[in-house]
Amino acid sequence: MPPEMLYLDYAASTPVEADVAALMLDCRTRAFANPSSNHLAGRQSRALVETAQSQLGALLNVDPRTLIWTSGATESDNLAIIGAAHYRAHRGKHVVTMPTEHKAVTDAFHQLEKEGFEVTWLTPDSQGQLRCETLAAALRPDSQLASIMFVNNETGVIQDIEALGTVCREHDVLFHVDAAQAVGKVPVDLQALPVDLLSLTAHKFYGPKGIGALYIADRPGCHVEPLLFGGGQQRRLRPGTLPVELIAGLGLAAEIAAKRLHADFDKLVKLRSALWSGIEAIDGLIVNGDLDGGFPGILNVSVDGVEGESLLLALEPLCVATGSACNSQSQEPSYVLRALGRGDDLAQSSIRFSMGRPTTAEDVESAAQRYCAAVTRLRALAPSATA
Amino acid sequence: MSDDPYSAAVRELFLNTVHGGDLPDAVVVDVAGAGMQLRLAARHIDGRLEALRFRAYACPHVIAACEAFCRGWEGRRVADLGRFAATDIIGDLSVPVEKTGRILVLEDAVRALGRNIGGAATE
Repeated sequence: MPPEMLYLDYAASTPVEADVAALMLDCRTRAFANPSSNHLAGRQSRALVETAQSQLGALLNVDPRTLIWTSGATESDNLAIIGAAHYRAHRGKHVVTMPTEHKAVTDAFHQLEKEGFEVTWLTPDSQGQLRCETLAAALRPDSQLASIMFVNNETGVIQDIEALGTVCREHDVLFHVDAAQAVGKVPVDLQALPVDLLSLTAHKFYGPKGIGALYIADRPGCHVEPLLFGGGQQRRLRPGTLPVELIAGLGLAAEIAAKRLHADFDKLVKLRSALWSGIEAIDGLIVNGDLDGGFPGILNVSVDGVEGESLLLALEPLCVATGSACNSQSQEPSYVLRALGRGDDLAQSSIRFSMGRPTTAEDVESAAQRYCAAVTRLRALAPSATA
Repeated sequence: MSDDPYSAAVRELFLNTVHGGDLPDAVVVDVAGAGMQLRLAARHIDGRLEALRFRAYACPHVIAACEAFCRGWEGRRVADLGRFAATDIIGDLSVPVEKTGRILVLEDAVRALGRNIGGAATE
């Protein structure tokens, strides 16, 4: 990254840890054999895959055999949601989720709607929290699947996964959790949590892009039908030659995350507090999410009187995410923030600061100063600033 | 940098606005549309635009276009405002096609400014 850039977009992606990159490079030249092969070289590759499975299993506190490798969280979400819905379709075709989920989830549910499933879109409270009674009220005898994300990627709101999962168990409904923003960042103990399916991706916790995993609980009625067909790898649930170097990288990233989890979290709490202190004096500043209970790596704010795309350009070389229509792939203001009741202008002016392992106190101080200056400048330029 | 949505000209004009603000004793036009608000202010002497200012709640392309207009038209004849063409700025700033409608709003504002100055001069 050019030295003049200030990267505060770690919720979008993280850099690969140096040790992870070194291991992957070594795998590329030394362990290139197909792990499905039964010769010596294949067994060597297979051992690396099994090590990674154990490392990820340890991070999640699960039997490694319950983990399926995928290309990332989007594929995991699709396999979990569509695969589970298909598997249980003979029992009923009602499924539930929230409009504030990641597109990988909402679009998978839209696909189910096209196939004849009935989707109930649950409304969270103004901070983005889903109440257990809201979920319970939506579940019916023909409900088969609920999908609720662990940490919201835009706002950092953390759902009460244990309580929501308990509601699902009481109604014999499979519970899928998109944990792309949670794994490696907050404790995820799948022995303690009533979760049936859980999606994750490596590049959100300092591993490589292009590799993720899906946890499928080993319990009756919990299964998915495959979306891909080919070889017999991974119990035919997700066939295809396993990318050993990516899997090894994910495994080591998981091991490092397990060791650093609490230290990283505590550091992020301090960084977010410092960032908030630096900008909270701005008149009309609105926090999108939960400043006290949300994931501390994310601070999402909106201001009125400032056009979002101009704000983003004025913030350069600060690299942050925005709800602005014109600079995102989408042509709409953030659908997540609109679902939380924000108007188009506030959704468009939203800025998501997301901090990570490399972030320093100086980084957030600089970001706060730059944000305050940009807001002041653009507000002064707006017609509404006229006396 | 690849896929930069802003030309060098847009970046320069957006980051170095010197014509933002108000003018005392100026003719003012307010327009709104396409999700933005514009205000143009002009002071004129002897049929020439002595000073121009703008205010904008808008995307970087529009702010850059307003600054370009102000820089380019100070000192020119009021009577020529009717000839202001958005297409010139669209080309000079490499405005993407999805933003051209916003520059047309600026064109409307400039022409309204010319009419208002004409009206003010008549009174």
